[in-house]
Amino acid sequence: MIQTTALTYSIQHKAILEPINLTVHPGELLVVLGPNGAGKSTLLKLLTGETTACGGDLSINSLPLQTLTAVQMAMLRAVMPQHSQVSFSYTALEVIALGMLSHQKNSRSYELMEEVMGLTETREFAYRQMEELSGGEKQRVHLARVLLQIWEDKPNPRYLFLDEPTSSMDIAQQHQVLKLVQKVKHKNIGVLAIVHDLNLAAQYADKVLLLNKGRALHYGPRLEVMTSQKLTEVFDHPISVINHPLYAQDIIITSETRVQQQEKQFKYASIKTA
Amino acid sequence: MQLSLYLSTRSSHRKMALAIIGSVLLVAIMLSLVTGAYPITASEVLGIFAHKLGMPVSHLAAEKMNVLWTIRLPRVLLAIVVGGSLAVAGVCLQGLFRNPLVEPAIIGVSSGSALFAVIIIVFSSSIGWQLQSFIGVFALPLSAFVGGLLNTILVYKLASKAGKTDIAILILAGVAMNALSGALIGLAIYFGDDNAIRNFTFWSLGSLGGASWTKLYIVGTLIIISSLIMLSFPRALNAFALGESEAFHMGIDVQKVKMTLLVFSALAVGAGVSVTGAIGFVGLVVPHLVRMVLGADHHTLLPASFLVGAILMLGSDILARVLVAPAELSVGIITALIGAPFFLYILLNFKSKRTI
Repeated sequence: MIQTTALTYSIQHKAILEPINLTVHPGELLVVLGPNGAGKSTLLKLLTGETTACGGDLSINSLPLQTLTAVQMAMLRAVMPQHSQVSFSYTALEVIALGMLSHQKNSRSYELMEEVMGLTETREFAYRQMEELSGGEKQRVHLARVLLQIWEDKPNPRYLFLDEPTSSMDIAQQHQVLKLVQKVKHKNIGVLAIVHDLNLAAQYADKVLLLNKGRALHYGPRLEVMTSQKLTEVFDHPISVINHPLYAQDIIITSETRVQQQEKQFKYASIKTA
Repeated sequence: MQLSLYLSTRSSHRKMALAIIGSVLLVAIMLSLVTGAYPITASEVLGIFAHKLGMPVSHLAAEKMNVLWTIRLPRVLLAIVVGGSLAVAGVCLQGLFRNPLVEPAIIGVSSGSALFAVIIIVFSSSIGWQLQSFIGVFALPLSAFVGGLLNTILVYKLASKAGKTDIAILILAGVAMNALSGALIGLAIYFGDDNAIRNFTFWSLGSLGGASWTKLYIVGTLIIISSLIMLSFPRALNAFALGESEAFHMGIDVQKVKMTLLVFSALAVGAGVSVTGAIGFVGLVVPHLVRMVLGADHHTLLPASFLVGAILMLGSDILARVLVAPAELSVGIITALIGAPFFLYILLNFKSKRTI
């Protein structure tokens, strides 16, 4: 389990993140939602050990994060960055193989590699150069790489951090990736993902953290947190959560509904007359 | 194709490539040993080696043995270690900066080293050091190392922000450092006497003419140790290709790797520069060529670059000795003639693709 207690971060006395308490359990997907500049990336950097927090506690499997070395961290968690540009001409296969850097010598690394390449469907372009691949293909290569890093079955839970993993993917690929994340959860892995698409979050998240201006406004099970009122408050934009009558599934509408528009017009009209 | 099968064929291809490059190096060594004003044939070279190994060999002219053993062989060995280490330092700096335009001479490491070496030479007599003494013999390569390291760190700090390097600032910082070092070298030489300083071109263009066994023992040892250390980081350098934070996420101790590679590339370059002056472009051309043929994986790139760097340096030195015989060109003129157009070619590529 990853646990934070009153985790804070500030730059020159300006709070970037106000005290945050959260837990990521193995087998669950925690989705972090929030407008740009909410502090999502900062939170991710703190949780992955890239940046040191200014206050509070952060532990991974009950071990304080700051006591772990880079290799020890790499054995416990993998991180998929939002944009990753590979300098020099590497093949997709060489990039995926980087996922075994932290593997121990006796690991079945190549079998694991075959497996994650199958799951991410990266086999077909494994021998091509990275710069020849499309944005979505590159993201799948990096996904294969980070999965490989923590794919080996171990008694201790591992964690996967995803920073907008589907930003360059088409709709089918987005769902493929999130379905893959569902499979990942069953391998004693906890997942934390920053996602922009509210509907994707509504379909796949177990828990949701709503972040705005460095504050964790709402945190809890998806059904409790992803409500019209809370989302509207966090994104400062009218958002409606509607239950689809046939599929028993929440649909999120991010444009103003006609009722809301009429309410607005009514308000303006009353201001004018007043 | 089966992954394991592909990987095993790939590794055998790479071994074969390294073997081929290695044999080209052997040919270049022989060619360099037989080239010169004094005629020595290949069979005589082999005879002299056999003799030195204690085998009974007849008809060996003592003069030939002398020329080969005290003049040509140290020069060849110096060319190998200096060329090889410049190329490996090029690979490491390019890997750290994540940019193929970085090279010890272009970003000013070599000229920084040359400056510090010149300062030591010019002012050693006034502070009472003897360059021939034990301290003096080390002081020269070590001060060159300090000069190179200071320069590397300065340029790195100037051009890097959050693990990303601004290539324009990097190159411009190199231009500034090269100009400054050049001016200061000129100034220092102005204060030095004729005995202390051979000439200005030696330090700014570089030459292998000063090779001797004594210099080789010290400088060669420093270079070989630092090269071996640089050669032991292929995994980390591969990880760096994705970015510094990605490398950290994959379990690389980024700060440690960065400092180690910066220090030992500066040590290798500095030690070399203290004997040969600043030789440019080897660290630029070689990694690029090897990457084009063998791919970017540092497991092959590092050793192959060492070998190709040695070959390029030997070849350039042969040309430098032959072209205007019986006089001799600075080897840096040849490497710059090869390297500068190559640099422009990479720039053009950079312009059209924005990625290399």
